[in-house]
Amino acid sequence: MRDLFPASPRLDGTADEDVPLRTAVSRRSDPRAAARELAVELCHSELGFMLFFCSAEYPLAALSESLDAAFDGVPVAGCTTAGEITPQGYERGGIVAIGFDRRHFAVSCALVEDLSGFDLMRAQRLVDGLLDDCRDRALAPLAEHSFALTLLDGLSSCEEQVLATLDAALGRIPSFGGSAGDDNRLAHTHVHAEGGFHGQAAVVVLINTRLPFEVFTTHHLRPRDEKLVVTRADRERRRVLELNALPAAEEYARLVGLPVEALTPDVFARHPLAVRLGEAHFVRAIQRVNDDGSLSFYCAVENGIVLTAMRPAPLLEDLETVFAALSARLGEPALIIACDCFLRRLELETLARVDAGSRLLARSRVIGFNTYGEQHHGMHINQTFTGVAIGSRTATPDA
Amino acid sequence: MRLRRIAAALMERVESAGVAGAAPYAAFEHAVLLAEQVRERTEALQQTLAELHAAKAEAEAANLSKTRFLAAVSHDLMQPLNAARLFTSALEEHDLPAPSTRLVGHVGRSLQDVEALLGTLVDISRLDAGVLEPDVAPFPVARLLDVLAEEFRQMAAARGLELHYVRSDAVVASDLALLARVVRNFLTNAIRYTEHGRILLGCRRRAGGLEILVGDTGPGIPEAQREAIFQEFQRLGERRDAEDRGLGLGLAIVDRIAGILDHPLRLASVPGRGSLFAVRVPAGRLPAAPPSAPAPAWEGDVLAGTRVWVVDDDPGICEGMTALLAGWGCEVRTATSLAALEADLDAHASGEAADVLLVDYHLGEGDPDGLAVAARLRERQPGLAVVVITANHDASIKSLTRQRGYGCLLKPLKPLRLRMQLVGLQGGGSE
Repeated sequence: MRDLFPASPRLDGTADEDVPLRTAVSRRSDPRAAARELAVELCHSELGFMLFFCSAEYPLAALSESLDAAFDGVPVAGCTTAGEITPQGYERGGIVAIGFDRRHFAVSCALVEDLSGFDLMRAQRLVDGLLDDCRDRALAPLAEHSFALTLLDGLSSCEEQVLATLDAALGRIPSFGGSAGDDNRLAHTHVHAEGGFHGQAAVVVLINTRLPFEVFTTHHLRPRDEKLVVTRADRERRRVLELNALPAAEEYARLVGLPVEALTPDVFARHPLAVRLGEAHFVRAIQRVNDDGSLSFYCAVENGIVLTAMRPAPLLEDLETVFAALSARLGEPALIIACDCFLRRLELETLARVDAGSRLLARSRVIGFNTYGEQHHGMHINQTFTGVAIGSRTATPDA
Repeated sequence: MRLRRIAAALMERVESAGVAGAAPYAAFEHAVLLAEQVRERTEALQQTLAELHAAKAEAEAANLSKTRFLAAVSHDLMQPLNAARLFTSALEEHDLPAPSTRLVGHVGRSLQDVEALLGTLVDISRLDAGVLEPDVAPFPVARLLDVLAEEFRQMAAARGLELHYVRSDAVVASDLALLARVVRNFLTNAIRYTEHGRILLGCRRRAGGLEILVGDTGPGIPEAQREAIFQEFQRLGERRDAEDRGLGLGLAIVDRIAGILDHPLRLASVPGRGSLFAVRVPAGRLPAAPPSAPAPAWEGDVLAGTRVWVVDDDPGICEGMTALLAGWGCEVRTATSLAALEADLDAHASGEAADVLLVDYHLGEGDPDGLAVAARLRERQPGLAVVVITANHDASIKSLTRQRGYGCLLKPLKPLRLRMQLVGLQGGGSE
């Protein structure tokens, strides 16, 4: 047994079967102490998998080692964030984790290191590997009772192709995920799997369960009348050089009625641009203003795309409606794993609504992180709240 | 100038749309398109599934109600048929002028045909509805085949055929009644289609079991028709005589029963030479003390003086039974319920004991069932031999009676069976 933690109530190795998912948070900056604190809460004989989201402030190599030691033998995956969502709501600088009970979840996890070479063949091999690994332990038919979670390096600029390829290989299995963050410094984001942190990489987690679940996405942004046409773009670097045949930053500043110098992330958050495909609008989030007057984006851009100016509707009300609908369909969720765009949090901070947001998230049992982009069914999207709600009771067995 | 630049960018975009390329934005657009298609298809699929579910539930409900209807109708038809058969049998025992005897014989055979047809229809609906549960028990195969050989030897002789029966001592595990139907069908068909020559009834030991064979020297079955004959309403060749009635359901039933019992069927045939039908039955093991087989004695007055109580809620049946049993020399007391019987006994014959109780399983609405009546009367008279009669062909009732050591006879009651049962009980002594 783990003599290190004699006070822990769960060290007898038994586990209460009524708790398929456990959550834990540590605010300690020392990686060893943080990892141990999580292990005390999460470790029991039936712990099958651990998922975590941590601040990019941690010394990552040391954190890997400490997690390895504390969760001896249990597979661990996670990523760095632009803020964590803990059982208490929005936080920063810490680490939040979810423990999956193997009696309720069969989890398999894979790392993709060479993102630019990730073609359909590799995607198919990866998905086959995950399915094979899960199959022996599967608790319910794989195709109908599984979902995939993707964690991507948020600054890799490879999300679109990797996701489209992966989605093709996953077939009917629903997927969602988030791009790792680094507390808005836009320097280095990392994903964690196979015992270490990796840049320019992706983690794919396949989760099979008898519990009911639903993968969902929502945003609170509504279209305005103004349209901007991208007339020059650098697709390799996700940069828009010109909008409406004028320097991009200048034209955007004119749209929002501010000088170019005042264009900061909180302005981007409140004045987003979106592409319309069919009936739906997909936000293309602006990352920053560059010295040459161009705008960098968090997602792919292309010459000739039409951007619609968007305005925010009340964010928390939209979220509350979505949570209510999920509860109606699944019953009270045991947990919601969420990838919440950091621009949404920025908007709440600007509006001084963070505490209200934290209360709603805590009440709705949301655990997750603030992202540099979200993933939903193979789409790389921005400024959304995307995740999976997991019900607490097994649905009536299939006829 | 600006407008021209904007127009040019839009044109470039429009013209490059739909080109499968590695561009990141194109990949995103493609993913959106796919997700939308998947969503639409999922919706369509869910709707189709919901419709299918509804249609399936409807069909199942209709099927169930059809099965219930058939069960109810057959039960109601069996009752009067039963009474008619009993009356006819009683009438045959009377000393009648020759023309009347012939007429009574015709009536009897006609009733027999109706009964067989009805039974067949009920069986096939029950087999289709999946409500028939086999009641598997070990028994010596000779117990089944001896009776069948005797029965069909006479039928074969009437058509100028010879029935050659090879007896076996093997013990098999099967549902006696269902297996009897299978072999009976083989034999009926063999006799029906064979013009001259002989019929063979025998067994061959196989790994783990026994194959029961019925061979004939009939016309044989062409290769192309060997599957078709196991389907409903299929008959080969011309009907041989007008008295041979049937719906061509025989082998369809055999096929279903074999499926339920998991007894493989085999058919070998050489056109012009003959056919061989076989059913493979697993070996069985008799319990340490085998139940004494009923002695098929047939002596005119062996039942004389046997005291029989009959409880049946149908007064017609009570009357028919009285006529039949009295014809065999039995002393009969009938009642339409337990209460009526007890009142009758208390009022007129306190202390009267019976040798056998014949009780209908399904008595009047709200009255105790046949098993409860038997239990009650056994309290009154321990060791009373009991035969339960039921129109319900469920194996469950049969097995309940077997557990209690009672006899069980199915409606419509066949006088010969009843007689054998009574003789057997007498031979077996009071239990």
